[in-house]
Amino acid sequence: MASAGSTSRAVWAVLTKECRSEWRTRYGLNAALLFAVTTLVTVSFAVGQLPDRTDLLSALLWVVLLFASLASLAHTFVREIDGHTMTFLRLVASPTAIALGKLLFNLLFLLLLEIVIVPLYLLLMGGPAPQWGRFLGLLALGSVALAAATTLVGALIAQTRGRGALFAGVSIPVLLPIFAAAVSGTRAQWEGAAVGGELRLLAAYAAAMLAAGLLLYDHLWED
Amino acid sequence: MPETPGAPLLAIEARALSHLYGRRHGLAAVDFAIAAPGLIAVTGPNGSGKSTLMRILAGLLRPTGGAVTVTRRGAPWPPEARRLGAGFASPDVTLYDEMSVTENLLFAARARGLGAPPQAVEAALAEMRLTPRAGDRIGVLSSGWRQRARLAFALLGDPDMLLLDEPGSHLDDDGRGVVESVATARARERLVVIATNDEREWSLGERRIDLAGGVGRPH
Repeated sequence: MASAGSTSRAVWAVLTKECRSEWRTRYGLNAALLFAVTTLVTVSFAVGQLPDRTDLLSALLWVVLLFASLASLAHTFVREIDGHTMTFLRLVASPTAIALGKLLFNLLFLLLLEIVIVPLYLLLMGGPAPQWGRFLGLLALGSVALAAATTLVGALIAQTRGRGALFAGVSIPVLLPIFAAAVSGTRAQWEGAAVGGELRLLAAYAAAMLAAGLLLYDHLWED
Repeated sequence: MPETPGAPLLAIEARALSHLYGRRHGLAAVDFAIAAPGLIAVTGPNGSGKSTLMRILAGLLRPTGGAVTVTRRGAPWPPEARRLGAGFASPDVTLYDEMSVTENLLFAARARGLGAPPQAVEAALAEMRLTPRAGDRIGVLSSGWRQRARLAFALLGDPDMLLLDEPGSHLDDDGRGVVESVATARARERLVVIATNDEREWSLGERRIDLAGGVGRPH
């Protein structure tokens, strides 16, 4: 059994490797930013600003975040299989350390996207000023839940045939609760309503995905 | 599990060890017992299971039949620990194209928790005479230099068990000479297993596990 110290060193090594690879290849970042900016600008040209439609605004924010990030999040493990680097990776770190490193990378990726997308979205769509504490809490917990769920699904399907199609099929039911809670909470904070229920749901869902991952990761990828 | 004083550094015992990929034979039943120090050659025609056996020994593959027991200083060395502790080079091991040789090896050394990663990497690079190309990205290297990078990865941290699957592939005479000297030097204290059909490589072995004919026979 690996010690906590050796696991954390391996997680850190995987995280820094992921960052370096992404920086060198721009595999996910450029596509994600292109999608997000194009979508927001197009919607803004088509319908203008929507300060009174908090229902549409909250749905649009999470749809843009989901689709912008999904191309990268879905391929975190698939890239290793397609690039034939999975054996090398398995020889240097335990499956749990690999998955946690990739989970942290996915979280960083989402954070970076949100830093670009959220101000642009608020500017172009003209939404009312958010209640920042609740809004950022929803974004943070929604991101953790999204990253944990996509990392788990990506790890599970990495060595299956037709993994691209499988990812979409498996992800839809797994991601729906996150989006229902995140969209509902985002709308509620604009309407001045309580968001405690949504925050608790997102936190519980993220914790469940993380726990399921920690239980499963060490049993993955055995030939 | 405590280590046993006086026990060999490393010992492997395989009993009716076999593997099926679905319904296809990857490795027909083989029995052998080997221990460090020494250099063991695994030979056999294409498809006889050399690479499958090496992956099982490296802890990458769980056999579907029989058993293999690996002990280090008398204590069991389970597959998950072997995967991160043994030196393994094979055509299956692909390093990251977008990273340099040094970056790949430093990543491996850090993830494995080796002490003094830069020094470990420097030593492995020097041993494979790879230092002049250390800063080059894997993606721009020739197949020979990539093979040297794989072998340098296997040497990282001076592992007790070195598993080399077709180590001479893509290498020129100088590279093959390096492999021979590295393997024979390591085999004086540690266990080196080479899977190959190249006579120059298998003749280095003090013993040979021949997988020809479907059933491995220790020679």
